[in-house]
Order: sequence, then C-alpha cells, then structure tokens
Amino acid sequence: MSDKPLTSEIVIEAKGLKKFFGSKSVLKGIDLTVFQSEVVAIIGRSGSGKSTLLRCLNGLEAFQEGSVRINGAELKTNNAQTLRALRQQIGMIFQSFNLFPHLSVGENLMLAPHLVHKKTKNELSTQAINLLKRVGLEEKFHAFPDELSGGQQQRVAIARALAMGPSILLCDEITSALDPELVSEVLQVVESLAQEGMTLLMVTHEMNFAKKVSHRVIFMHEGRVHEEGSSIDLFTNPKTTELKQFLSSI
Amino acid sequence: MSIELDFGAILIEWPQLLKGVGWTLFLTLSSTVIGVSVGSFFSWIQWQKKSIGIHVVSLYVESIRNTPFIIQLFFIFFGLPSLGIKLSAEWASVVAMSINLGAYSTEIIRAGVEAIDRGQIEAAYTLALSRAQTFKRVILPQAYKKIWPSLVSQIIIVMLGSSVCGQVSTEELSYAANLIQSRNFRAFEAFIIAATIYLALCILLRSVLNRLGQRYLFGTRRG
Repeated sequence: MSDKPLTSEIVIEAKGLKKFFGSKSVLKGIDLTVFQSEVVAIIGRSGSGKSTLLRCLNGLEAFQEGSVRINGAELKTNNAQTLRALRQQIGMIFQSFNLFPHLSVGENLMLAPHLVHKKTKNELSTQAINLLKRVGLEEKFHAFPDELSGGQQQRVAIARALAMGPSILLCDEITSALDPELVSEVLQVVESLAQEGMTLLMVTHEMNFAKKVSHRVIFMHEGRVHEEGSSIDLFTNPKTTELKQFLSSI
Repeated sequence: MSIELDFGAILIEWPQLLKGVGWTLFLTLSSTVIGVSVGSFFSWIQWQKKSIGIHVVSLYVESIRNTPFIIQLFFIFFGLPSLGIKLSAEWASVVAMSINLGAYSTEIIRAGVEAIDRGQIEAAYTLALSRAQTFKRVILPQAYKKIWPSLVSQIIIVMLGSSVCGQVSTEELSYAANLIQSRNFRAFEAFIIAATIYLALCILLRSVLNRLGQRYLFGTRRG
C-alpha cells in the first residue's frame, strides 16, 4: 500500500446506481465514492457486477436509476457531447487490450489526441515516445500490435489511455488474459501510476496485487457492495461469510 | 467447313480498340471511386441503427440488387429525360455503374463492419472519439481489410458489366468490337480479341487492387 496522503477531493461519486439487463438486475443500488489519488480494488465472483459497475462509470453501459458524477460533472449517457468531455478525464484499460490492429503502436497512441485535442504531429510523437518510455517500450514505436506479446500490448494500451491525460483510470481485469509470466510487467506499470498519484479503480483477480497497491477494497456480491474497507482489514479480517468464502476459494 | 482467321483486319482498327479500353477503364475507375464511397457512406448510415436510415438504405440496396443492370442503365439514359434530367451516354454510364456498385458494396462493407470486435468500438469510445471518428478511423479501415477480396471481385464484375454501356452508345471496348465487326464482318475475330483484352484488363485490375490492398490495408510494415 502506498503511503501517499489522500486529498479529500471526490473524483467519482455514484449514488443508488441500478442497472438491468432486460429483467435481470445486475446492479442493485451501488453507492461509491472515490477520492483523488485513491487506489480502489473491486473484487468478487464473476457475475457479481464488478465490470458492469466500471462500465457504468464511463458511460459504456447506460444505467436505469441513480447518478454518477465524475470530477463534479454529472454523467449523462444520452448526451454525446458531455459524455466525450467526461471520457477525456477517465481512461479505461480492458482485459483484451483492444489496441487498433491496423495502426502502429505510435499511431495507436496518437490517434485520439490528434482527433480530440487537435494537437500537431510533432507534439504528439514526442508525447507518444515519452509515454512509451514510461511503460518501457520506446523501441516499439513503429511496431504493430500483432508483433507484441500480451504484456507488451497491455502496456501500450495503458500508454494509449494516458495519452489523453486522464485523471482517473479504470482497469477491467487487465491481467486476466495474460500468461502468468507476463502479469508482473503490467502490474509494475500500474503500481508506478498509483505511486504517481493517479486515481485507479480496478476490477482484479490478483489478490496479492490488490493487497499491496490499493488503499481500499470493495467486495461485490450479487450486484451490491457487500463489504468494503482498507485492504488490510478486508483480507485479514473479513466480516461477512460471503467474503470469507470468496477469499478461501481463491 | 474451314475458317480463315484474319486478326489483322481487327487489329488495324487499333485506335478504336484503344479508345474502347480507355472508356472501359475510365468507367470502371470512376464508378469504383464513387460506388465504394457510396457503399461506405450507406454502411455508416446502417451502422447508426436508426430505423429510417436502415429502411432507406435497404430500399436502395434491394431495388438495385434485384433488377438487371441494363434496365438501370436504360432507365437513367432513356427514362430520366422525361423528368428533365438529360445525361450524355458516358455520364449515364458512370452514374448507372456507380449506383450499381454502390448497392453491392454497401452490403459487402456492412458485412465487414459487423465483423469488427465490439472491444474496438469501446476502446475508441473510451478515448473520447465521436461515433463518426470511430467509424471512419477505427471501424472502416478494419472492415475494408476483411472484405477487400469480395470488394475486388465486385469491382471486376462491374467492369465486365460496363460492356452493356455500349448499348447507349458509350464507346467502351465491347462497343468498339461491335463497331469493327459491323464494318468488316469479322465477328469471330473481333470478339475473340475483345474477350482477350477483357481478360487481360481483369487480371491487371485484380492484381493492381490486390497490391493496393496489401499496401494500404494489410499493414505493410514501414521501413
């Protein structure tokens, strides 16, 4: 766990979030507050609504009830303009990397800032090289995604998200598709981001990592926040039987 | 029965043949550019999933795909003047071929668009790209790559279909062959030569388009 002191500024605030897929209720009223520079891990069984919660926070999924505020601005999934403005502050990294296969690594990093921020090619390539350095892949600028290992692809995906200058990063099981020996190189990058003060909200199955890096852990069960607390409390002293069962099953 | 072949009688008319080749290529290239643009635009409309757009596009696609090309051409050249729209034979041919290829390429490109992984679209959205930017910069290039061989085949079909345009007096290759044989009655040789030229043009066009695909769509590595 990092020692960085937390400011009291709220960057994500969800209230009474409810989400249905047809008649199936996936999120049954979630309240969530995340502070600036906080690292929050969301754990739970598959189907507990972890990923759906994450996807509601950047408008990839619409929700039926409740509200979400990002840096004070309300998220409205039916307003394309405000949604795009909001998404510039909140990056996302996916389990399956989702790099653009028709673009080189450098172009992957430059596409969105070019289209959205209208920056010049020169500025962008300097920025892209710096970001690639940060994830240890500056020599891959001209490579294509299919020439990289999974771990490298995921590090490029992180750099691509950072290129938009977000203050929050959502990580949706970002190491689940990786071979075990490639997991640590990605987690190292995430850890360094946490140390630099990035607000991180991550759905993860890497319990050791969650224990080590996160300030707070949220255990989701059947569409609700079932238990939450500091990572030490939650892992060493789980209160509910569901969390005890979950922790013993992994 | 013996046939005396005299290809020289045809080849001596080479300026007419060359002109025919020129028109055939012009019709094909211009209708390819316009038709594929139309197809890309309409597949964008379909991708929006707005019901009115989908209906308009499918009306267009189905009415073109289920009527003969020659009727479409005659309608534009002979029919539209009744509405005061008079096009020269050449422009009517370009318009007819573009509309025809537009309909088929809409269907072909749509198949490619639908095959794009949802994760690609979500990645683009989370990077704050608009729907239009996502379609143009992320989806369409990948869709082209997937459907390029089908699209090339359709372009070849349209080129062969351009032989019909001679019927409205566009002086393309089959018109040239027909004209030559009507002068010297060497139909056998005239159409063998026309067929050979069409064959060569097809092989040439296919290899050029495949090469363009390799160069621009299949991630030819730079450097």
